Amino acid sequence: MNELTTDFSILLPALIAGCLVAISHVPLGQQVLSRGIVFIDLAIAQVAALGVIIANRFELPIEGWGAQAAAAAAALAGALLLTWTERKRPEVQEALIGILFVLASTAQILLLANDPHGGENLKDLLAGQILWVSNAQLIRAAVLTAVFALVWFTWREHIGRIGFYVLFAFVVTSSVQLVGVYLVFTTLIVPAVATYRHAPGRQLLYGYLLAIGSYVVGLGVSLVTDLPSSPVIVWAMGVLGLIVHLTGRNGAVARAPH
Amino acid sequence: MKFIRLTALLLVGAASLPANAALKVLATTPDWGALTQELGGDKVNVYVATTALQDVHRVEAKPSLVARARSADLVVATGAELEVGWLPVLIQESGNANIQKGARGYFEAASALRLLEVPSQVDRAMGDIHPDGNPHVQLDPHNILAVAHALTTRLAQLDPGQAAYYAARAKDFDTRWDAATKTWEAKAAPLRGAQVVIMHRDQVYLCHWLGLVEVASIEPKPGVPPTAAYLGTLVGKLTTTPPKLILLNAYNDPKAASWLSERIHTPAVTLPFSVGGSPEAKDLFGLFDDTINKLLAAFK
Repeated sequence: MNELTTDFSILLPALIAGCLVAISHVPLGQQVLSRGIVFIDLAIAQVAALGVIIANRFELPIEGWGAQAAAAAAALAGALLLTWTERKRPEVQEALIGILFVLASTAQILLLANDPHGGENLKDLLAGQILWVSNAQLIRAAVLTAVFALVWFTWREHIGRIGFYVLFAFVVTSSVQLVGVYLVFTTLIVPAVATYRHAPGRQLLYGYLLAIGSYVVGLGVSLVTDLPSSPVIVWAMGVLGLIVHLTGRNGAVARAPH
Repeated sequence: MKFIRLTALLLVGAASLPANAALKVLATTPDWGALTQELGGDKVNVYVATTALQDVHRVEAKPSLVARARSADLVVATGAELEVGWLPVLIQESGNANIQKGARGYFEAASALRLLEVPSQVDRAMGDIHPDGNPHVQLDPHNILAVAHALTTRLAQLDPGQAAYYAARAKDFDTRWDAATKTWEAKAAPLRGAQVVIMHRDQVYLCHWLGLVEVASIEPKPGVPPTAAYLGTLVGKLTTTPPKLILLNAYNDPKAASWLSERIHTPAVTLPFSVGGSPEAKDLFGLFDDTINKLLAAFK
């Protein structure tokens, strides 16, 4: 009994982190999918990591707030660049995002060519593991999520293209550090794909239920099987997402007449 | 892969049988797990955080690892920054006062050893350098013995009621290990002075112990992948003076070593590196038996 309680308390911070990430990523993911820029989160995460490494090259402190500021500044620059390219070359925006991803990733390799040890530490700064989440991280994420929710659900019509990319950059830079890049991508894209054939008014609700349900199921399965938590959650969301997607066709047909 | 799982299961399984009195131990590598088991017998319950085929610099977070960090009485780590990427965070987030750095329940093998390759100055341009010295210490049996002595003292401090038990087991291990070390050294005598190419700096203690001479390493600086120019120079240099062996570890990607092996016509031998790194390396004795046997077989 005691052992079981201990185990639940291990998963609680991870579950809270998952819910916080879901709150922002499910609505952002629907936007990302409709704009056809699915890999933007991977590109932004790489640009943020590049920012930290560049800051370190200039001997700026990389601990704590220094790294956060560098990551956020780089992500912001990446976001502004993507806003500009979406205006100038909308027809190839997704391809440009892909190019930004490989350029940012390989720039890190070149900058770190003689510095693998420091490099590993720096990259770890931006690669979270959901079970390691600390209380301080949860508080920061909660504040950011509250700001996001306020902006998104009150002024979304007014923030425009720049507002979207800026908001996206800040949210993803934080969430990648919280839960890692696989879970960020999954939480962003899977609920959006799973629900897009459902009635528009229900997509957000179903997306939230799917994302949070997957974190609960995934963490539970990870606890029972003792497999690494992040990949198990990704698979839980993949499987549950497929089920939600398949029920969507019927739902849409049934609701079509009115 | 299966035997790794099996070894881990055996270690954990054998240790989880005894009653609640057993000390809960979190060992960072299979070698320290095996050593703690040798010394602690059924008075310890050992959990091993990594397998031999894993790079111990990095670890995936599993629920059981976090659970063990919370309940552990003792952490047995290598130290010298080997586990710096994950252990400090794990210990801090565990909220377990017993295992914080400096507490009695935190043990570093490096504290009992004199490390090789302690840099006189640390410069990031030198590559993956550990400022406290090279932490891959387990492939010298004299190191294992020194750590065993320090660990026995620590076990007795944590569990004074069983001090006599630990002392008796340590004495027994000491005798068997000493005899085995002499056998290994006798068997490996022909290897002394042999020129070898190493992969990374993690075979340094093995070379030091057996008197192998490192003429080159495939990674130009520790942790830095070789460049085209470097590989060209390496092949040129080694073709004129071919070494006897290329050494790599079970967890290394064999690509670079087999590439070089083909070009300079020198056998590449994969060593287990850690307990569980080969089917024969079931425990610490098996690890050294197998390492020596593989070296001798390839040396012929």
